[in-house]
Amino acid sequence: MFGRRQRAAPDTFSNEVLGYLEPLYATAMRLTRNRADAEDLVQDTMVRALRFRDRFEPGTNLRAWLYTILHNTWRNRIRDTAREATDVDSERIEELASTADGPAEVETPEQVLIRSTMDADLKEALDGLPDAFRQAVWLRDVEEFSYAEIAKMLDVPIGTVMSRISRGRRQLYEKLTQAKTDAQIHVSR
Amino acid sequence: MSDCRLVTEQLTSYVDEQLDATPRDALEQHLDGCVSCRRAVARERGGQTVLRQHAQHLREEPLPPGLKSRCESLVHEHARAASLPGWRRTLVPTVLSVILLVFTASAIFSLATRQSDAVLAAQLTADHSKCFKLFVGGNPPVMDAHEVEEMLTREYGWKIHVPPSVDGLQLVGARRCLYADGLVPHVMYRAANGQDLSLYVLNGVTRTPSDLVTFGHRSQIWTKNNTTFVLVGPADESGRLVDATRYMMKEADR
Repeated sequence: MFGRRQRAAPDTFSNEVLGYLEPLYATAMRLTRNRADAEDLVQDTMVRALRFRDRFEPGTNLRAWLYTILHNTWRNRIRDTAREATDVDSERIEELASTADGPAEVETPEQVLIRSTMDADLKEALDGLPDAFRQAVWLRDVEEFSYAEIAKMLDVPIGTVMSRISRGRRQLYEKLTQAKTDAQIHVSR
Repeated sequence: MSDCRLVTEQLTSYVDEQLDATPRDALEQHLDGCVSCRRAVARERGGQTVLRQHAQHLREEPLPPGLKSRCESLVHEHARAASLPGWRRTLVPTVLSVILLVFTASAIFSLATRQSDAVLAAQLTADHSKCFKLFVGGNPPVMDAHEVEEMLTREYGWKIHVPPSVDGLQLVGARRCLYADGLVPHVMYRAANGQDLSLYVLNGVTRTPSDLVTFGHRSQIWTKNNTTFVLVGPADESGRLVDATRYMMKEADR
């Protein structure tokens, strides 16, 4: 009854967790859009990962487990500080997005966009997306998680995840093409 | 269901190449004759491709100084706790949980009794214990007071005077913490004898001066110019800590 619980060798587990520090921080930056909050969030994630390490099932995806902790921690923090209340109102976000997603008559060729987009422009465009869409496209296209893994991290159904990814990608594309159109107008004046 | 609606529902799977052959062929047949859906596919594919092309760079966010070493300290601290005998290992998280529980309960209680200094002292004492346990660790680097002041202004918009380190008392950290009435700057110090002191600065709050002992910690509360200062430290002060406390009280509300 009072026997020692089975747990992974401390060094292996801890070292693996520490190995994910940089991608966790990059994700925290896009989640919070604030260095101090991102730093706090990563530290809290580490504390929880170490405290609840017994709940991690060896052989499963440690990276996905850590990202789930990161997103749960952030959701709790937003709830605690009652900030960005619309963030968790996915219905409202879907609604707003559908009205903004009008027909695009002029299209910049995809390859031109990809070649000419700078990291800084992309980060700015990403940060301008609604939080729910930004989280979904980041986890899918930057971190390459599956729909099911993302659904677990964000605590929403898979259908909602796919809808957010779709809206997020299209809005991002529109923001980048719009930014380029604006820049061209500015230059030609 | 219209074909366009079907495309909308399957758009992400199609762009991610995760559709089976039969629905994919049906969707492509629809795309051949529908300009609007072709545009939707082009936009989604455009967003996806830009992100994937830049994914590696996006993941390379430089870590802020000190974050890695603090996380490594957490790992070492945890490994040390794990090596303790069973009953002590169980006690450490239990004590932390009790502290957090008291913090949460007192925060809720405080919504009804905002004027209670005892509740304020209990909350900040719990936060003091938690922050030193989780974020400072055994051998923290000494920080520059001006840099800390600049960080608090830059990151949180707070303009407060941070008492600098003196002989026998070192400034070791500053954080933004949560108590029942909102967010508050928390500045952390370590005395030469290893004991910890916390200074909280509550802007726009007025309290009558108090000196309380809660959970084995002493909280000294005073107000100046519509700002309340709370100094939390150990209840059993040694001679050096009395000096440190005097210095903090004199310096904080300058």
